[in-house]
Amino acid sequence: MNSPPALRVYAVTWVALMALLAATFVLAHFRLGMLNPVVALAIALAKAVLVALFFMHLRRSSTLIVLFALVALFALAILFGLSGADYATREVHPAPWVAPGAY
Amino acid sequence: MSTTTPEIRPAEWREQTASLGMWVFLATEVMFFGGIFMGYLYLRAHYSAEVAQASRHTHEWLGTINTAILLTSSFSMALAVRFSQLAKRETVQRLLWVTAALGSAFLAVKFAEYTMEWHEGLVPGLHFTIQENARVTALFFFLYFLATGVHAVHLTIGVLAVLWMSWRLRRPPFPDWRADEIDVLGLYWHFVDAIWIFLYPLFYLVSLSS
Repeated sequence: MNSPPALRVYAVTWVALMALLAATFVLAHFRLGMLNPVVALAIALAKAVLVALFFMHLRRSSTLIVLFALVALFALAILFGLSGADYATREVHPAPWVAPGAY
Repeated sequence: MSTTTPEIRPAEWREQTASLGMWVFLATEVMFFGGIFMGYLYLRAHYSAEVAQASRHTHEWLGTINTAILLTSSFSMALAVRFSQLAKRETVQRLLWVTAALGSAFLAVKFAEYTMEWHEGLVPGLHFTIQENARVTALFFFLYFLATGVHAVHLTIGVLAVLWMSWRLRRPPFPDWRADEIDVLGLYWHFVDAIWIFLYPLFYLVSLSS
């Protein structure tokens, strides 16, 4: 990092983050069915990417650091993927002492 | 044998090492929070209607205001990192104060929210009075308090670290390695912000439309 980015870069990032926040709050009030969580998570992901690229300056970081960030997400994907596959293929068997219909 | 030390751009190496160290720590933090997110994903996937109903008990306006506060704190933190690279000590110190103030404001709102939730009987195990979908609602709020509580602990550590850094900047000099310290502090701060970016829609925005 020889010379830091212009102030404008930070200001635009902040405005974009606020606009995305407003968008996700407003869109959550519309009845979109299955699209509601998809839109909410897509906007959250967009915000996180903006924070990572411009505030955490991943955009200007070395390949090694980008690699570490991606490995973290890859490990998270393994956790979600394998645990999710396990849970998705199992029946829920409530314990005998749980009242019927309690879950 | 040569006695000269192989100093090839040492400042850049130091910056690299410091950043990489923080990124490794943040990678472990991703896994730490990942377990909580996985638990949420399970509950949401298996009991989506009940989770939607449970989420109506959260205070979406307070959550939204807090998201705005935290995003803005990241903005001032990023500016502090930027000005530290220009060795503008006093500007950096002021921006760190702003960052700590915004972080404290977030914690104050969160604490007010917890107080309201306590009075509304939403705290599983301690003060829980919700009758409909009691079990899933209790699990939802267990995850809510776990996730936001662990996040609040991280943010408290961040606020203290920012205040400590700001205190260390009270008078010159401003050595160039100071910028690396502030950079690493910034990475931690933005990570805590990024965690909240995901907690916000998962706990507050589930069923505002129905």
